[in-house]
Amino acid sequence: MRSKRTRTRKALPSTYTPAPGHRFNVGDRVVIKRAFPPGHRRTPCYIRGKEGVIERICGAFPNPEELAYGFDGEPAKVLYRVRFNQKHVWPDYQGPARDLIEMEIFEHWLAPASGRAQTAGPTQSG
Amino acid sequence: MSDRPLNKGPHDLGGTAAGPIDTTDHGMKFWEKQANALRSTLGLKKIVRVDELRRAAEDLGDQYYKLAYFERTTMALRTLLLEKGLITEAELKAKMAEVRGRFDAK
Repeated sequence: MRSKRTRTRKALPSTYTPAPGHRFNVGDRVVIKRAFPPGHRRTPCYIRGKEGVIERICGAFPNPEELAYGFDGEPAKVLYRVRFNQKHVWPDYQGPARDLIEMEIFEHWLAPASGRAQTAGPTQSG
Repeated sequence: MSDRPLNKGPHDLGGTAAGPIDTTDHGMKFWEKQANALRSTLGLKKIVRVDELRRAAEDLGDQYYKLAYFERTTMALRTLLLEKGLITEAELKAKMAEVRGRFDAK
């Protein structure tokens, strides 16, 4: 029954999962940890140390940094979509100032941002 | 290379200069189809995880870009099967010798 299947699919809100106990909320300013530990890491080097804003809470997922070595990835880690200004991420960026880059990053890579907003570039105080 | 941060894997390319992209369809060689089928089956049976395969591929270091895509993923699969004790180096060598013999290859 094709119509039934279509209806079921539409009823699914999203693939996102609940994330009880999340540390950050939508709109919070965060800074990505500037750390270079060995191992399987999903946070690209170019975004480490940059400041962004929580765009959404994606859910809680088994930690891929543990799954990569055969462990079960528990406890699950909260994953966020973080929004950055391109000009902040790439100082030589030639595109419009309003251009953004969004990236999904796990909670243990995030710290609360302090000081001025990211539109002013990296904070000098930290 | 000199300003490459410590522990930056070969997959972590953001910000590096990029050349032209080869968009020609290379098709798949017979061994690539076989290797890919084996990888998919082991994944479906939850014997290997995609996260583990990615890690094993990233650990290839400078070899990563010297290998073609299916060579890289097959090397990663080899690493995991040895790591998990599902095959031994000796068994793999013996089987490869047998197959080479079958095809009269060096």
